[in-house]
Amino acid sequence: MLLKITLVLFIFFICFQLLYILYPLYAVNKTNKGTRLKREKGISVVIPAYNEEAIILNCLQGIINLNYNNYEIIFVNDGSQDKTLQILNDQLDLRPTFKKLPAVKIPHQEIKDIYHSELFPKIYLIDKVNGGKADALNAGIEYAAKEIVVTLDADSILDPDSLSAINSSFEDKNIIAAGGLVQIQQGFRGSILKPRPTFKLRGLVRYQIIQYLTSFYLHKFTQAKLNSITVIAGAFGAFRKQALFDANGYRKTVGEDMDITLKIHKLMKTNNRYKKGKLTFIPQAICYTQCPETFKDLYNQRIRWQKAFIDCILHFKKSLFRHLGFSASFFLIFDSFLLGTLSAFPTILIPITLLIYINGYMVAAALFTVAIFLAIYQGIVMVIVGARFGMNYSGRQLLKVLLFIPFEAITYRLLGLLFVTTGTILYFKNKNSWYVSKRIKHSQQPTVSKISLNKNTI
Amino acid sequence: MLRNHLFNIFFTLIFFGLFSLIISFYYDDVSRALYDPAIFPTDKSFDLQACQSWRDDTRQFVVSNENKAKQITVLMYHRVIPEDQLNDTHVQANGDLFSTIILKSEFDEQMQILQDAGYTTLTLKELELFIQGNLDVPERSIVLTFDDGFKDNAIEAAPVLRDHGFTAANFVITGAVNMYDSAYKPGEYQYFSVDDLHNTCDVFEFESHTYNFHKRMEDNTPYLIGKPDKLVQEDLEASIVNLDGNTQAFASPYGAFDKENIQLFKQLDFNMAFTVIPGTVKQGTDIYQVPRKEVLANERIQDFKEKIGLQDGDT
Repeated sequence: MLLKITLVLFIFFICFQLLYILYPLYAVNKTNKGTRLKREKGISVVIPAYNEEAIILNCLQGIINLNYNNYEIIFVNDGSQDKTLQILNDQLDLRPTFKKLPAVKIPHQEIKDIYHSELFPKIYLIDKVNGGKADALNAGIEYAAKEIVVTLDADSILDPDSLSAINSSFEDKNIIAAGGLVQIQQGFRGSILKPRPTFKLRGLVRYQIIQYLTSFYLHKFTQAKLNSITVIAGAFGAFRKQALFDANGYRKTVGEDMDITLKIHKLMKTNNRYKKGKLTFIPQAICYTQCPETFKDLYNQRIRWQKAFIDCILHFKKSLFRHLGFSASFFLIFDSFLLGTLSAFPTILIPITLLIYINGYMVAAALFTVAIFLAIYQGIVMVIVGARFGMNYSGRQLLKVLLFIPFEAITYRLLGLLFVTTGTILYFKNKNSWYVSKRIKHSQQPTVSKISLNKNTI
Repeated sequence: MLRNHLFNIFFTLIFFGLFSLIISFYYDDVSRALYDPAIFPTDKSFDLQACQSWRDDTRQFVVSNENKAKQITVLMYHRVIPEDQLNDTHVQANGDLFSTIILKSEFDEQMQILQDAGYTTLTLKELELFIQGNLDVPERSIVLTFDDGFKDNAIEAAPVLRDHGFTAANFVITGAVNMYDSAYKPGEYQYFSVDDLHNTCDVFEFESHTYNFHKRMEDNTPYLIGKPDKLVQEDLEASIVNLDGNTQAFASPYGAFDKENIQLFKQLDFNMAFTVIPGTVKQGTDIYQVPRKEVLANERIQDFKEKIGLQDGDT
């Protein structure tokens, strides 16, 4: 009986993997660099910052290099106790302003002051009482003046062409929200204007690069086609502002990004105005984020993600299929929950069951072989699709990637099991105290200490 | 663009090629693990017709009147186990071997005796014809039978039979047959696998010993007698399906049967049925109550010879 359940789950797994392998391969058939439109829609970039003194300037660097004009930047200092505010002030020459007015639609913690940069007129800063990331985002949306809101993590750097890619994508009136491609900063060398992908990195970073690329190029890309993206990564997402208001903004939870994504799915299902709405993925809209480099940091991050995921699943469990579209509900239950979380538990038990049920070893070997085979093939397709999107590794780096893929499948990938199971258990263990967990601290010192102020794009 | 298309197709073909290779490599193992070894399906057959056809080839023996057999002994065996493989499971509480267990060495010796004495083993068809008076057989004719269908029959007894040019009938509890072969473990109650049936179908003719009714009710009544006739019929029918429709003979578990059972044997077209009542078979013996003599554990050579009607000093 157990064996039958395992096999049925496994067949589901194979189906999803086949979909993720074959769809992107055929859909991304030519080199696809995206188009650039003349008419620029207004974009407000909201950047919540809480104790980000170490990396906030990286983020600023990306903003200064943007190839776009119709935008504003809203930093939201969420009651940082470090020098975040001071550092920003030093670079931007912030002056209090009374011209920025809120929409008064979503409640949030008290605003202390609103500043406008004297040097970069497109940059604003909201200084508020600490209320968590969701709260900071809500405050940011309140003061956003433009039609499209982009949410960006303070540790992420926008690619110069990212906003114009979003602009092109939102030309389709039905697009309500979109996720960008989150790349790992450490995986690139050279200047922000001409980054070159590299793979000369620690295993833990390599593992995350493979994971991000697979997740975005294959999974998100496929899910976008089926309108079943269940998470627009908090690091980099774009929304029609009105939709955020109609969804009543962000909920105070660690998984606020998944939460807002599901809320938008809910809008599409329950609100007639969003009936034809779509969530999409924009592979040309790139941001570079720093990934954890130590096991401890990675562990903390992933445990947080898993807790956030479980919290969202529980929060939306009654909405599935009723208030959420079929496709999104289906992916959420089968792909994310059943295969992503539930099956991790028995997978860990496999070695134990093998000891008990000795005759099962060939079945275990079969499942193992198929899983590894699919993982390797997915890795290869990821490289192919990535190249078609312009993510080209040079010869030697490519070889490293290809050699790492099978290795990763049988080593680092198992870490995922650990994170998923531990995260789930910890969620239920201290249900009430988890949402205060802190963002990871970056071991790395700021890479940009001085902003090049002579950019004329601002 | 076109290059990419061709590449995609090529890539997909290789992918599915390798994928099917992996699947086919593991297919047997997985379906084997999924298979419930407790019972053989009622609707599947062992697919033995081809290699069992020999049992219908009735021989015409050239025998003079005085050399004609007047009576024939049918021997009954259960398990044959090598001495060095004996363990606790083979021994009763009092330390004696279960009566159904014959040592391999004893079996060898017994077969040697039969061969030395010039015995011919008859098929059940030949025995049937003899009982009906339609076939003359040599005086030194014998019928060997095995009950239950233990795997040791295939591993230990079959090669010995083959060496001596003998054949035997094997009454198989068909539901107990394993669809997939597994390693031979003489210490366990291990039944034939389908592979075993195929490997030994040159020396054994396989007959029904019920599908899954080799059991007793709570009050110890054997199923054949205790269970409703309809269920008995369904059980026997299942065994016939397993045996490719073969209805040459039936042997009731524990030798227990009643009048209704005999009626059923006839209704199901069984040609003959065996008991465990000792006796010799003569022309005119009730074809549905054919007696058999059980060869017991630790049987002395003397007793064995007596059983088959061999006088001391005869060779």
